[in-house]
Amino acid sequence: MLEVTDLNIEIEDSLIPETVVYDFDITISPGEIVGIVGESGSGKSMSALAIAGLLSRKDMKKKGSIMFEDVELLSVERSHLRKIQGNDISVVFQEPMTSLNPVKKIGWQVEEALRIHSSLSDEELRNAAISMLRDVEISEPEAAYDKYPHELSGGMRQRVMIAAALICDPKLLIADEPTTALDVTIQAQIIELLKKINREKGTAILFISHDLSLVRTLCSRVIVMNKGRVVESGPVDEIFDSPKEEYTKHLIEAIPRFTKIAGRFDTKDAKPILKVENVSARYKKITGYFVPGSRGRQVVKDVSFDMYEGEILGLVGESGCGKTTLGKTILGMLDDTEGSVVHYSKMPQMIFQDPYGSLNPTKTIGRILEEPLRIKGGYSKEARYEKAKDMLSRVGLDESYLSRRPSALSGGQRQRVCIALALIMDPKLIVADEPVSALDVTVQDQVIKLLIKLNKELGIAILFISHDLKVVYELCSRIIVMKDGKIVEQGTDEEVFSNPKDPYTKQLLSSAGYGI
Amino acid sequence: MKTILKKAASFIMTVLLVTLFVFIAFDLIPGDAATNRLGINATPEALERLREEMGLTKPFFVRYFSWLASFFFGDMGISYSYGVSVRSMLASKLPITVTLTVMSFIMIVILSIPIGLYTSKYEDRAASKAVDILGQITMSIPPFFLGILITYVFGMIFKVFTPGGFVSYDINFGKFLGYLVFPSIAIALPKAAMSTKLLKSSILSERKLDYVRTAYSRGNSTMDVLYKHVLKNAIIPVITFLGMTLADIVAGSLVIEQVFSIPGYGRLLISSIANRDYPVVQAIIAIIAMIVIIINTLVDTTYKVLDPRLRGS
Amino acid sequence: MMRAFVFRFKKNPELYIGILITVFVIVLILAGILFSPYDPDEMDAGAKFAGVSSSHIMGCDNFGRDLFTRLTSGAATTLLVALGTIAIGVGVGTVIGAFTGYYGGAVDEVLMRFNDAVLAFPSILLALVFISIFGSGTWKVIISLGIVFVPSFARIVRSEFMRCKNLDYVRSARLMGAKDLRIMFVHILPNTLTVLMPSTVIGFNNAVLAEASMSFLGIGVQPPQSSLGRMLSDAQAFLFMSPAYAVCTGCTIALIVLGFSLLGDGLKKNA
Repeated sequence: MLEVTDLNIEIEDSLIPETVVYDFDITISPGEIVGIVGESGSGKSMSALAIAGLLSRKDMKKKGSIMFEDVELLSVERSHLRKIQGNDISVVFQEPMTSLNPVKKIGWQVEEALRIHSSLSDEELRNAAISMLRDVEISEPEAAYDKYPHELSGGMRQRVMIAAALICDPKLLIADEPTTALDVTIQAQIIELLKKINREKGTAILFISHDLSLVRTLCSRVIVMNKGRVVESGPVDEIFDSPKEEYTKHLIEAIPRFTKIAGRFDTKDAKPILKVENVSARYKKITGYFVPGSRGRQVVKDVSFDMYEGEILGLVGESGCGKTTLGKTILGMLDDTEGSVVHYSKMPQMIFQDPYGSLNPTKTIGRILEEPLRIKGGYSKEARYEKAKDMLSRVGLDESYLSRRPSALSGGQRQRVCIALALIMDPKLIVADEPVSALDVTVQDQVIKLLIKLNKELGIAILFISHDLKVVYELCSRIIVMKDGKIVEQGTDEEVFSNPKDPYTKQLLSSAGYGI
Repeated sequence: MKTILKKAASFIMTVLLVTLFVFIAFDLIPGDAATNRLGINATPEALERLREEMGLTKPFFVRYFSWLASFFFGDMGISYSYGVSVRSMLASKLPITVTLTVMSFIMIVILSIPIGLYTSKYEDRAASKAVDILGQITMSIPPFFLGILITYVFGMIFKVFTPGGFVSYDINFGKFLGYLVFPSIAIALPKAAMSTKLLKSSILSERKLDYVRTAYSRGNSTMDVLYKHVLKNAIIPVITFLGMTLADIVAGSLVIEQVFSIPGYGRLLISSIANRDYPVVQAIIAIIAMIVIIINTLVDTTYKVLDPRLRGS
Repeated sequence: MMRAFVFRFKKNPELYIGILITVFVIVLILAGILFSPYDPDEMDAGAKFAGVSSSHIMGCDNFGRDLFTRLTSGAATTLLVALGTIAIGVGVGTVIGAFTGYYGGAVDEVLMRFNDAVLAFPSILLALVFISIFGSGTWKVIISLGIVFVPSFARIVRSEFMRCKNLDYVRSARLMGAKDLRIMFVHILPNTLTVLMPSTVIGFNNAVLAEASMSFLGIGVQPPQSSLGRMLSDAQAFLFMSPAYAVCTGCTIALIVLGFSLLGDGLKKNA
């Protein structure tokens, strides 16, 4: 059905024309699900967009061939290509919020492809859209029809995207990281939905993802890409069980899975470092000072737990469960809180999720690392420099980084700098808020190993906040599960993973594929 | 309902603040109304009596609210220079300034929207590039200079109109409109160029967003993407700009009235400032500020119609 | 090297053309002030409305004053007034915006309401209010216009501070024990420059236009000091006899505005 051979993509809109995809090949037969995996910058999305005919013909030079049925998509007339787009080939994108038009109603957007490719009446369009919305398991399709994208949740929006993509019953659905922006339980539902569509309608799917375990559960064949080139391709099991190429092996090894990396930690004789008792927190509500407003929504509800010196404690939950707010409350960053937080150590520090936002873009790395010493005072210029250099080497970066600015660093390097910054105050406790979730899987693996090393060498306790159960399993001996601002379960890893009591914990574990 | 109340509350708040500001500003001017009426040679006793009579000795807020109340009921005081009521002076000039403003605004809209659409549709054509450059130059010409150029070229060389030959609306309405065409052009051209540029850049930046890619993936043509998806999003900042422009035209017309010798609010304001005729100045400024606040409120409401994200919640 | 420049130029022609025009204007002004053999106010009855010649490169005005010399000194006045205005506007606006944006609270609420109210006035109108209170004259114009420009800069800086104060790098500075003033001026302020710089250039342009309009109306800079707006208003009276007078003056204003607006656009694109 689809046959791509020797596809090369070159971006011309820059100083030196840059090739981003080299000699890409793929074939997809009707009803097949094929995956493309790779880290950021691997060219996987670029190739997919080229197949969908969505790369600008002006700035992107393409060579090779993309045959869809009997049509050469690279050279076909625009008007002919449009007849295929949305009708035979349709696309679901990563970010459902920005990929839907914010000022148009859901129904209008779901019907759109059908309106373009057929001459149905408004009534027929509406019926088709509503039955499509029902097919993607939207609970009240008639009500959703008249809503706007911002009125739906992330998972619902992605279902709407899928409904809109499937309305013309396409032969090929290209799904570009369709679950990356979603929570794990929703992620699992969307994957199930894609499987169902493939089974019932026979739609072929090209699934692009950085998440190897998702690709494994969904696809029958997979293509591994790195730096614009296809590294390896073949049946999923073959690639995963006996990868031939070095890069593939490396990539598969880096996937977090339910295996322990950190050593065990015994709380029996450990000294406490943090005691959290009956803590609640609210968001500050933004209302006028002259308008009497209610207090903000309660995000953390009556939470209590202890933490010990040298421990890595995992705090897991989905987005909006209050885990980040709890972390901030512990460090005294919020105003409207209740309960008591007792620190048995000075100066706990925090590592943030987004390594792009946590370093001041106008300052050099050296200046950033020296800042806490300047604030504290009492260090000579040389002492500050030495200390900054020393911290960088601890996180595996050399002296030359001191004079660079954050924009010149990769995500992983920035996160290392953030860790160095947290370490420079010699804290005994670090709150790490999703420190690896914005990173590529191989970089993620390196940063996790770095955290474990620092924990072991310096005896720093880490409160590890994450949505990713696998990463938490790798690192933590004790785990706290949060939902809707409350702790639903806490205990040792054995208690939580092998013998979960709360139904929500069970649901989380099965969505993450524990025990499968 | 709640949002309407909130809107109304903030509207009233702004009106109060703006009028308070105008009132304070003129309260600070050395020499009060009594001195102005009696002249500097008046005896202190006479001044004191008049002050008492005019209510000038009352507390500040009492004076403010009584001024505000009489302002809204149309009593704007007596002109120092002409000794007639400010209201009668302003009423006869209102149609002139309003006509000039409305004419310029219509010109801006009918020029900028089609041209902006054209240049963003055919970005690469030579005509679009020429329009861009011409626009950049046009928006750099101050309106009063443009007015002078128009006077010279159309008034003195081609003699399409008579410079200084303003005809009032109550004498010959057709000629009145005819005379205002050229001043309107002088006000409108630079603003139209800005609005065109804004519409174009808004469309171009909107086109880079994800939802546009989605629209193409459904099989939309470039035109359909522009008219069915992009335009409604891209027009929002242009509406803001046009709202601000309307306020700006009112101010810009002050200068243009001077260039074309049109006896509207602008000339009256300038001559009143020169003559220190404060009741007139205060009234004109308060009226213009009111108009601006009303326009801003209308623009805010338009947003809500165009952007569902701002509705309710 | 050449290719790299051509590429950079193609990416942002506004910036380079803007720089070129601005530098050209400034060089001309300096040349007029430093090297012109005439005094800008020196009258010469014999040279009334003299045409373009080798001794008067742009001709003369109604009093026989050398037009080029007068234009350059007028432009210098206009630019200095604009510079003073912007210095007041950006300086005071930044401090107000920084404190209100960082602390928020009731003071912020009141100040911003007031700010919105002031912004509701077209800037010329507001300047007229101040002029009618203070009276006219160069310094008074600078102060009046300066006050008028404060609210818009306060608003820009405030919204940047509100955006930045919740960013992780600011939070982490706070965790390290940095004091509020240090966070505001060492950590946040440099990050507002990408937004503040182009706004400053565009504000400068508006100040040039505002000064020119006010002087044109006769309530700005007072004679004998020349300014471009004032000269244009003089030139209008002699439009029929000497159109070159008005055209040269007007084009000077337009050229200054064009240069700075391109520069502002270019900076915005670069940010």
